[in-house]
Amino acid sequence: MSGNSGIILILLVALLMTGMPISIALGLVVLTFLFFFSNIPVEIVSQRLFTGLDQFALMAIPFFILAGAFLTHGGVAARITRLGTAIVGHFSGGLALSAVLSCAFFAAVSGSSPATVVAIGSIMLPAMMQQGYPKKFGVGVIATSGGLGILIPPSIVMIIYGVSTSSSIGQLFAAGIVPGILMAAVLMLVTWIVAKKRNYPTLPRASLAEVWTAFRESVWGLGLIVVVFGGIYGGVFTPTEAAAVSALYGFVVSVFIYKDLKLSEVPRVLKDAANMSAMLMYIITNAILFSFLLTSENIPQNLAQWIIDQGLTAWMFLLLVNILLFFAGDFMEPSSIILILAPIFLPVAQQLGVDPIHLGIVMVINMELGMITPPVGLNLYVASGLARMGLTETTIAAAPWILVVTAVLLLVTYVPEISLWLPRLIYATPG
Amino acid sequence: MRLIAPCQTARKPHTRMRPTTVSRFKAALDHLEEGVIALFLAVATLILFASIVHRYASGIPALWEYTQHVSFNWAQELTIYLLIWMAKFGAAYGVRTGIHVGVDVLVRKLSQAWQRVFVIFSLLSGAFFTAVIAWLGASFVLQVRQLGQVSPDLELPMWIIYLAIPLGSSLMCFRFLEVLVNYLKGRPLPSHSYAEIETGVDTPDVEMKSRA
Repeated sequence: MSGNSGIILILLVALLMTGMPISIALGLVVLTFLFFFSNIPVEIVSQRLFTGLDQFALMAIPFFILAGAFLTHGGVAARITRLGTAIVGHFSGGLALSAVLSCAFFAAVSGSSPATVVAIGSIMLPAMMQQGYPKKFGVGVIATSGGLGILIPPSIVMIIYGVSTSSSIGQLFAAGIVPGILMAAVLMLVTWIVAKKRNYPTLPRASLAEVWTAFRESVWGLGLIVVVFGGIYGGVFTPTEAAAVSALYGFVVSVFIYKDLKLSEVPRVLKDAANMSAMLMYIITNAILFSFLLTSENIPQNLAQWIIDQGLTAWMFLLLVNILLFFAGDFMEPSSIILILAPIFLPVAQQLGVDPIHLGIVMVINMELGMITPPVGLNLYVASGLARMGLTETTIAAAPWILVVTAVLLLVTYVPEISLWLPRLIYATPG
Repeated sequence: MRLIAPCQTARKPHTRMRPTTVSRFKAALDHLEEGVIALFLAVATLILFASIVHRYASGIPALWEYTQHVSFNWAQELTIYLLIWMAKFGAAYGVRTGIHVGVDVLVRKLSQAWQRVFVIFSLLSGAFFTAVIAWLGASFVLQVRQLGQVSPDLELPMWIIYLAIPLGSSLMCFRFLEVLVNYLKGRPLPSHSYAEIETGVDTPDVEMKSRA
């Protein structure tokens, strides 16, 4: 490894530790390095700041965020929880099971984890506490199932991975479906076992007619699943176009069909979605600059060679990825981690014969784990805020769930077929 | 910017007695910033949707009379440019709402005085970086203008499109300095509360740490 990579790494870590925004830290590393240690003209930076964003695939992010904002504000979440409760409410721990199922449903129309926690948690957490569930249990369930938001497509984090590694976003989405359903099933199973042992309350069984009513009410929200996946895999439109259609669909459903959102509130929803998208896109531009710097210094290639020379096999590499991401996930949020690390991991993965799509799904589940692991577990913070619970308690609440997610993570990491089976079926490409 | 001292709302209502020229200018700037990002996002959504509808309508012979006169070849390009402008101005708005987060676990463990030092350093770094980018961007715009480059589909002069960089970055620099001045005056740092922004539900305890 050359001295330059050391300088870059030390600079980055030092700047990050001051607590400045991650995007600014990445940008300053690039400026400093270009100015003092390299012959590349600094002028290239300003052009890259524009061309880095000049990609149609990236534009799916603001549209999916906007769609998610409409769905959260527009009463879709509430109807989804009613459907979830009608389906699984009568089992042991019915309300908790419903929360997991509702998160899975909502994840299939929304691309963000904390948004899923807020949308479902703000309805289900108070309901669970009213029924006498311990706060700790409720917060753990919601924070963990909220993670399905980025695993079950559409997923903002997958789009970011796709853009930063030039992988197909359609294939990534397809690869997330089976692991997403698996994760939801495991979470429900664990919830059910714990609930049975601790005798958590059940709800009266909903009649078929009630299930049908709940389904009919939520069908407009769930219809988005058909629009997005039917659209992408039926070849009707690209993921970015699907995202724009979702945003408009979300607007029509919330304002004109469910009427839970007033037309006068729409500008605020737009502004909030723009705020969030712009923040992500600002990190993306600076991260693209940063990975341009890495590439021009040949750092990922050298690192890949070094790892191959050490005789690492694919499974050892994946384990290394798991461990590295686990620690990175404790300090940074998913988008930044993916943007910084995916371009570094990718050349190694390719040399070792790890499918980039599989690597993407592994990284996404690893990010989910990071979101329920303190100190920077965003889902935990959001859920504990909803339940008005202290952070120490929240940390304890999450501990058993970290083990459950880790188990699924290892399964998906070492059985690539779980993620690759569906995209191979749809796209019929070998390897 | 991440927060050190817990606080919830990004903006305080304007409670000044007499609006001065400066405060009027600031209010106008705030409105312009918010207006641009919301409008551009909405327009981009509608244009892209219209182009999809047009693409499918063009496949129906009965509609040819209407569809053949209209071309949406430029829709994709315009969507990208609108959203890049949205992103550059939104990034400045984000400084005001405190949505740009960093790794603050270590800084939070320090004494109040040291936290203050790091907050000031971070804000100054933000202002410095955005100022450099604004300057580099401006010289880049001048260069492109001399070359007379136009965009592939819309044939718009590229220098106008690239203006997003110096304008957005200058505004962002201004926002960092504004937050710094307010912080030095003893006002709390803006912090983005996830639940409040996302759903409108009242959950003041939810503080933004990082995001997906």
